[in-house]
Amino acid sequence: MREIITKPFTGMEDEALICGRCGYCRSACPVYNVVGWESATPRGKIAKAKEIFSQGKHTELSAEFVQRMAQCTLCGACAQECSTGIDTRKMWLELRKRIAALGREPKAYKALRDNLQEKKNISNFSNDERLEWAQDLDDPAVLKPRAGAAVGYFVGCVSSFFPQAAQVPLAIAEIFSKVGVDFTSLGGEEWCCGFPLISTGFVDEARQFIRHNVDKIRQLGIHTLVASCPSCYSVWKEDSREALQGYDLEILHTTEYLVRLIKEGRLSLQEIPETVTYHDPCDLGRTSGIYDAPREIIRSIPGVRFVELPHHREQALCCGGGGTLQSVDAALAAKIARLRAGEIRSVGATVVVSACQQCEQMLTAAVREAKMPVRVLDVSQLVLEAMD
Amino acid sequence: MEAGVMEQLKQQFGVRATDSLFECGFYSRDMAPVPSLLVDPLFNTRPDIVVRPVDAVETAGILKTAFADNIPITPRAGASTVYFNSVPVKGGIVIDLNLIAGIEDIDEAAMTVTVRAGTTWLELEKYLNPLGFALKSFPSSAPAASIGGWFSMMGYGIGSIKYGSLLSQVQSIEVILPTGECRWLTNDTKPPLAWFAASEGTLGIITRLTLEIRRLSSMKHFLLAFTDVGEMRRALESIINAPVVPYNLHFADKRYALAMQSLGFSPSDTASSCTLGIDYEGSRAELDIVQNMIIRLFGDDRTIRLFPEEEARQEWTGKFNALRLKRGGPSVLGGEIWLPVKTLPGYLADIKKKADCYGLDLISYGHVVTRERAAVMTLFYTNETRIGSYILDLAMVKKIHDVGYRHGGWPYGVGLWNTPYLGRIFTLPYLNELRLRKQMLDGRGIMNPGKLYRAPFFLNPVSFAVGMGTLAAVRRITGRSGRR
Repeated sequence: MREIITKPFTGMEDEALICGRCGYCRSACPVYNVVGWESATPRGKIAKAKEIFSQGKHTELSAEFVQRMAQCTLCGACAQECSTGIDTRKMWLELRKRIAALGREPKAYKALRDNLQEKKNISNFSNDERLEWAQDLDDPAVLKPRAGAAVGYFVGCVSSFFPQAAQVPLAIAEIFSKVGVDFTSLGGEEWCCGFPLISTGFVDEARQFIRHNVDKIRQLGIHTLVASCPSCYSVWKEDSREALQGYDLEILHTTEYLVRLIKEGRLSLQEIPETVTYHDPCDLGRTSGIYDAPREIIRSIPGVRFVELPHHREQALCCGGGGTLQSVDAALAAKIARLRAGEIRSVGATVVVSACQQCEQMLTAAVREAKMPVRVLDVSQLVLEAMD
Repeated sequence: MEAGVMEQLKQQFGVRATDSLFECGFYSRDMAPVPSLLVDPLFNTRPDIVVRPVDAVETAGILKTAFADNIPITPRAGASTVYFNSVPVKGGIVIDLNLIAGIEDIDEAAMTVTVRAGTTWLELEKYLNPLGFALKSFPSSAPAASIGGWFSMMGYGIGSIKYGSLLSQVQSIEVILPTGECRWLTNDTKPPLAWFAASEGTLGIITRLTLEIRRLSSMKHFLLAFTDVGEMRRALESIINAPVVPYNLHFADKRYALAMQSLGFSPSDTASSCTLGIDYEGSRAELDIVQNMIIRLFGDDRTIRLFPEEEARQEWTGKFNALRLKRGGPSVLGGEIWLPVKTLPGYLADIKKKADCYGLDLISYGHVVTRERAAVMTLFYTNETRIGSYILDLAMVKKIHDVGYRHGGWPYGVGLWNTPYLGRIFTLPYLNELRLRKQMLDGRGIMNPGKLYRAPFFLNPVSFAVGMGTLAAVRRITGRSGRR
């Protein structure tokens, strides 16, 4: 195992100069592994950023460079490998912010921002329809916003509006109901967490969304928030700190909360005789440091034969669905997912579990395309299966 | 380069060939941040086209085309060197070899692995370890350096002191000669594979290698601290001459320890010490012998500090990350010297004098890679954004090499930037022998031109010495350095 120490980000110009162009980031980068050109390597992008911003050659900010900057899943694998300890994920976010400030962001980013400002979510649906997915529950009213609930469930845009991903909140709501968790949601007052804006360089615009969601949580008097989307979770955990100052809010990912329920003996899990592997979502693993909770859940299910993927935990491969890549280059995202599907095939798993609705969508498409006899499930779906 | 040839390559390779100015610019540098102000007037480092072949057949096709039209070829994979070894100086075609990657075969009976040249050393080690095998040696840049790339350099690094140079471990190579002919070479062929070791891609392009591996074994790590370099050298000699040969032996001066500590990377308080990291691999019984040997050699010596094993293990896990020193920069300049072990104390003492003389903070560390030789890196902080001061600082690199030369050392690797030191690196008869090989295999001089054999006009030893001497004098008089 290599010793990796990522250092605090000291600013884009300084960090770009610190980069030694050693190329350790190259092999780890899923985009480079598909694209193959030096301009797609993290070191290449940093070298160009150095020219543009540290050395003041603003004319070098070409359309090709903007495209390369958008072709990044923000998976953080490069930061994991960096020999000089650069927090490269912060570097990419900062660069996208600089590009947006110069009005040079991709059109897809502008469209995404405009849609978010109008709809307050990433879909074309009205935000009032946030709880449409809940109609499949026995008692949809359980999700109706309610002050004083013990747990606030932050559903996230993808799970709220995209039918395939709705299986995730349905499983969570069913588990919570069966176990007797006192929970609620923000309903139509849940706005996008702000991550799509942060990841496309519109950090100031994201603050408005963060403040709104924090205000609603405060108004409902919720002190434990559970998020099933790792990106929402990371925004709540890291980017909402300032807005949450002075308010006591415990922020958990569903995997952390489910482990708690298991440890408290509130979940009774039956045998599932399957070979299960786990795909670490980048925003849950490398960004937020949660590796053990999902594995504890899977291992607590009787009959499960758990196998690790060749690249796992800190070294996990990205699914291709991060960093808003799909909005600018869906084909590239799909090719990255195929690399991960190849790893899933290599371990002979019958079920691949993840803890992110985006990863699950990407992997489902990839294993379907590869005609692999593998089910892709969210960890909450696996738990619900074990409870039935 | 003829437009027709470019079109032919683009048609043949489709999305795996590009002449985009944007893309080609990324292939005009390696790790060295040499200012465009110095490079652009002298060399054409931007390739006309970059092509990414997937195998030997495609590579041979490119070389046939280049040979027919006398087009310069520059092979490139990890590009993890600093002497422009894989950067073109006359434009032409850059062949990006990273797609020629993957492990082909392990022969357990022969204890060899056949691997495609663009595979990185870390990828190969990660492949071998779960199967119970390991590399005999690898470079300290293993996460980026390719198998073929390290063979094309001198091939000394971690594990070399025990298992010898990479050349001694390679049994055969597949190489594409400048004419496009594909050959499998061994020690008994004409030409022998040894001609291609350290040839820096100037004789052909290596696409496959069969090299020796070892059984994966347990390791034991030791980290010692010394108050002075003389003590460290005595310890080094004891270790080198002991019956059990270490797998890895690396050292650092006090300045290195201080810099690492100030950056928050040091495992413990080593700031006032030179350090010696010793790593052994072998059977449990061998490692027990080693444990007793180290205790016997150093256990009673109160001037030597033996760190807890966990800290020694951390030093080992950080073996690929010496570059983290760069956080103290933002830029670094320096030289890597192939130095006799016995002259290490004298070298470090003179380096300290040079540092005092020029107001530099010189940091040295390295690996003992044979019983007689160490690869020593001496570097200093600078700032490449202050172009004038940075150029003055470049003169200090020659001062480092001069100190090394006085102590029996010479630059490790040639490329472009070390061509002024050819007379120090090779004896004239050997250099003539190398030139003869070049003439025999690449008479048209298309393979990686400008590297290894002759200094270009602006880098000829006399004008280089005058130029660098002048810059050093200006730097000394004005007291200007990039860092300040």
